Amino acid sequence: MSESLAVRSAAVPAVSGRSGALYEALQALADHAERLSRTQPDGEAVLTAVRHLPAQSARYAPMPAWVRPELAAVYRSKGIEQLYSHQAAAIEAVRAGRHVVVVTPTASGKTICYNLPILNAVLESPDARALYLFPTKALAQDQLAELEDLSQRLEHAFGVYTYDGDTPADARRAIREKSHLVLTNPDMLHTGILPHHTRWTRLFENLRFVVLDELHTYRGVFGSHLCNVLRRLRRIARFYGSEPQFICSSATIANPAELATRLLEAPVEVIEENGAPSAEKFFLFYNPPVVNRRLGIRRSYIHESARVAREFLRRDLQTILFANSRLHTELLLTYLQQAHPAPPGAPEPVRGYRGGYLPGERREIERGLREGRVRGVVATNALELGIDIGSLDAAVLAGYPGTIASTWQRAGRAGRRQGASCVVLVASSAPLDQFIIRNPDYFFGRSPEHACIQPDNLEILVNHLKCAAFELPLSPQETFGRADLSELCARLAEAGFLHFSGGHWHWIQEAYPADAISLRAVTSDNFVIVDITGEPEVIGEVDFPSAFTTVHPKAIYLHGAEQYHVERLDVAERKAFVRRVDADYYTDAIRYTEVRVLDPAAEARLSQPARNGNAAPPAALPALRAWGDVMVRSQVVGFKKIKFFTHETVGAGKLELPENEMHTTAFWFTLERPLLTALPFAVSARQAGLYGLLYALESVATLLLMCDRRDIATAIGERPPTPANPGVTLASSDRGAAHRLLPQTARDDVSTSLEEHQTVQEFFEPNLYLYDAYPGGIGFSEPLYQHWEELLRQTRQLIAACPCTSGCPSCIGPVGEGQPHARQAALTILDRLLG
Amino acid sequence: MRRHDDRFSRLAALKPAPRAGPLPATPAAPSTPAATHGEPLQQLLGAEIVCNRFGACLRIRGWFPVPELPVVAPHALRVVAPDAPESAACPDDWLFLDTETTGLAGGTGTYAFLVGVAWWDGPGLAVEQYLMREFTEEHALLAALAQQLERRPVLVSFNGKSFDWPLLETRFRLTRVLMPPSLRAHLDLLHPARQLWSHYAGGLASVRLIELERHVLGFENLGYDRRDDFPSALIPQAYFDYLRGGPAAPLAAIVRHNQRDLRGLAALAARIFVLAAAPETAVRDPREWFGLSRLFHRRREHRRAREFYERALAAGLPGMLERAAQHELARLAKRERDYGRARELWQQLLAACGHNAPALPLRPRETHRSADHAAAPVEAPNRASSPADPRALEAFEQLAIYYEHRARDPQQAAALTRAALQALRTGLRSGTIEPSRFRKYKARLEHRLARLEVKSRRLAVLLQS
Repeated sequence: MSESLAVRSAAVPAVSGRSGALYEALQALADHAERLSRTQPDGEAVLTAVRHLPAQSARYAPMPAWVRPELAAVYRSKGIEQLYSHQAAAIEAVRAGRHVVVVTPTASGKTICYNLPILNAVLESPDARALYLFPTKALAQDQLAELEDLSQRLEHAFGVYTYDGDTPADARRAIREKSHLVLTNPDMLHTGILPHHTRWTRLFENLRFVVLDELHTYRGVFGSHLCNVLRRLRRIARFYGSEPQFICSSATIANPAELATRLLEAPVEVIEENGAPSAEKFFLFYNPPVVNRRLGIRRSYIHESARVAREFLRRDLQTILFANSRLHTELLLTYLQQAHPAPPGAPEPVRGYRGGYLPGERREIERGLREGRVRGVVATNALELGIDIGSLDAAVLAGYPGTIASTWQRAGRAGRRQGASCVVLVASSAPLDQFIIRNPDYFFGRSPEHACIQPDNLEILVNHLKCAAFELPLSPQETFGRADLSELCARLAEAGFLHFSGGHWHWIQEAYPADAISLRAVTSDNFVIVDITGEPEVIGEVDFPSAFTTVHPKAIYLHGAEQYHVERLDVAERKAFVRRVDADYYTDAIRYTEVRVLDPAAEARLSQPARNGNAAPPAALPALRAWGDVMVRSQVVGFKKIKFFTHETVGAGKLELPENEMHTTAFWFTLERPLLTALPFAVSARQAGLYGLLYALESVATLLLMCDRRDIATAIGERPPTPANPGVTLASSDRGAAHRLLPQTARDDVSTSLEEHQTVQEFFEPNLYLYDAYPGGIGFSEPLYQHWEELLRQTRQLIAACPCTSGCPSCIGPVGEGQPHARQAALTILDRLLG
Repeated sequence: MRRHDDRFSRLAALKPAPRAGPLPATPAAPSTPAATHGEPLQQLLGAEIVCNRFGACLRIRGWFPVPELPVVAPHALRVVAPDAPESAACPDDWLFLDTETTGLAGGTGTYAFLVGVAWWDGPGLAVEQYLMREFTEEHALLAALAQQLERRPVLVSFNGKSFDWPLLETRFRLTRVLMPPSLRAHLDLLHPARQLWSHYAGGLASVRLIELERHVLGFENLGYDRRDDFPSALIPQAYFDYLRGGPAAPLAAIVRHNQRDLRGLAALAARIFVLAAAPETAVRDPREWFGLSRLFHRRREHRRAREFYERALAAGLPGMLERAAQHELARLAKRERDYGRARELWQQLLAACGHNAPALPLRPRETHRSADHAAAPVEAPNRASSPADPRALEAFEQLAIYYEHRARDPQQAAALTRAALQALRTGLRSGTIEPSRFRKYKARLEHRLARLEVKSRRLAVLLQS
């Protein structure tokens, strides 16, 4: 509540005009929030943070003397006489031949950092070529507009074209010949350009620069693939005698240099100091009030977001409202259009914007926003990146976007050169949202988000090695990542993919390998979903790992707001046959998961943190952390039918599905016996606490790793006996002899009720696994091992700050009946682990 | 620390599903076929080793008599290959080309392991084929091909413009030493062949060389047949098997297959040019008249196209083709403002589709013209009627236009439009017309009908007064 007072003091009543309206809106929000807070039983604040980000003045640097006069003149004609300090630093570093990554917020003029040195090089030598890679087609289109404008002003001294799936076949030849700057995306580079590099001889022979925009989006699976695509790109460039220089841009993350170095596999200069000016901005965290304390249910954040947005729209402040799904976009749009109807005959002042709208319509909305005709827009992340819509007065974020980086990118949509702007983040009751909203310092401090990749994931690496061999025969002397090329190639030859001849490995398959490899998934093995309601029609795809949980027989599969009943799952043919139904329930698969440790890469005992001035060695704790290779075996053994809205279980069924085995990497904590026995809780509470703790650990891990909840999975298993501690595991009397011989089995879906666990024998020394949900692992385990302490601290923070009494979906997950101490148990375990 | 062995068990799963039977169990020992079974292969194929400064590869030579020698008239060249320069007209400069490759996907990882070329040599066809026994022999193979192209710079192929030649260009570029040879011209016969014969036998599914050999050129004329031919789909795998130490015998069959492709290609070229140059003497089947008219139509030689359509109709075509010819000819006639002939053809088309078109009186001044075409069958008894043939819809519409604007008979035009709407509904019910097309057509026809009804009423009032 003290925070909401800050608005009062910041609001200057005398200011009139647009800023005045903004202050008024802020005041109205603050008053509203305070009224709501008073209704809360413990007076929990609705506005958990009100930050005032003061205006920042620009730091300039002169245009360097080496910039060609005609180029400097063109920028002058666009009103750019001098550069911001970070732009100057970036272009000097490029000039010096170094790989560069520029880390700056939205609207800080990052495009100059790459366009200026590249155009300068093209003007100096018209043979020079550059390849721009954008994570999406829309971004490439947007950059095209800017570059075409520059080209026109330079009297067409250079050619610039986009090359993607939409490029007409007859235009492609011209692009290959005439384009100095080719704008494309990694997927097109992977399937369309590299396997046909002989058609791009001119580009590759003269390739001086590669631009990687939005570098932070290349993490996890996508990033691991991209790293390999870049290996292939550099290899082809070398074949044509060129060694391109990389210019990257990234949003703020904790490890931009590390990410860039891993992606490019070369030293990179990081430019982080932003010289662009910004006007003052308010950042508000809005937590909808609790309506059911026991279940941790809050007022609908969708309604609350609409309400917040109306405060701005009502005062004619141009506003963007971000939702996290298409469905919510449409919902919010309906609310706002009803509240702000268009005058008769006039166009709607509030519009929607998301993927699926036609390009023409999108361009019209973008123009409307720039010109001020459109007063409000409800968008998905389609508007988060790049697209030029000018700057707005206010941004409202309905739900936490998932990462701090993309929150700042969305927030950057509000912010005028002059006058104040405002951003409001409205939290849902999801654990991440609740964590962020209650820990403003975590958000506003130095970014804790790590972007991780694992380019040497065997599955991914082998796939790209196949593509590389297709592109050019591989020589055993080459290097491709850290792989032992001769061994891998020999294996691929055994499997019939390669053939050794004349000192090189040649591709000997009819198939075109890049076609079957998607950069956005690890395996290319997919199930197609066939709707047999009428004429059989393919309506979608699910990847192999999730097929058994989403399209098992009798499952209700949700697609495009329609329900489908799965009639048959043909595992051999990789097809699921579904029929449209109208059911009042959904299904939840019951899966058993067993994790077997194959090869620990590192293991360490947790210890009490050293106290100040205490020279004594830190005391060891009865717990370990480790990471390494694991084998995950899982099987879907049944499912439950759960009624919509009430979430009652209305039925269940058994399933006989094949077991799924996955080799991946995991991070785990081992809780030793003394730690558990010292807990002041009953066995069942201890068990519930373990599952709750794991649920919370998973939430925080996704936060630290900038990944999706489906990218990591969890399991609990018994600590495997090791040579190091054979005595403890075998001498135990608590555990039956039979238990040792059985695999350690654990339920992974903690969200379902725990009553089955109560009959299960207590874990003697449990391992709490967080594993990468992709075959081969995607590089999450080692960073978790390194940052374990932060993981534990933030998890403790998440659970401790939750206003619920005994655990809720916002902290330790849904807790079954009769487990009032689960939350306390989880907290106590955390305290013990943190010494 | 990484246990590759464990993980590699998964690699087996990455292996593509076997297509045509399992791979023969070949030892995976590193093989150098040139040493282990190079000589048997050479003997098997009757090949010789050809050497150039890039190395060596195998060459197989042959000579075959041909059924027909070409006459290449400049106007025929313009029709067959409109963008070829006139200097391409000399058949002595032609080099027929066909390749066998390790796949159809294209891209830099697809190899042409067997390149066959051929040229007219006296009364027959000389064939030379270059085979690489290993990937290392590719340079030598490409150099040999380049040499041939230097001598005969007009390339003649079947689908080579989009497949064989780009693939070879890629291969040349990948050497970084050999530039892709520049061609004087590239005559690709796929498109002219499609125009000429794709309607054969109720429509050849895809115009493949083997189909043309069977239905157009005739194996009896060609001097070979394809009964023991090596199936194209199995060629890449057979070559891969050979590379990995498998049997050489399939390669001999592939070489034979490639030879036949070249002989078929040459025979096809001769046939196409003879047809285009002197159709009157060359046509063997009325359907070829139809094909010729399509080819000339496409090349915008409308006068000749019309002439050939008329000849095709006069010679008698099977039902579907007849309707197609009537349709195209009617369009051409209308284009040349011969409305009478156009109207007549549309009426015949409607009758052929089984429509009881409204009574359509012929105007006196047109009767003499239609008499010329009295031979054209109007109502063959066994003809399958297809009331929802889109051509019938167009015929109705065109006739309506004719009666509205030429004959100035709005009542007749309205009757035709109503009949068209009726046919349209039948089409929708029977599923021959998709709903979206139906809506489009319906809107158009209803618009016309409304206008015609106004005109009819006005005319009636006028007549009463």
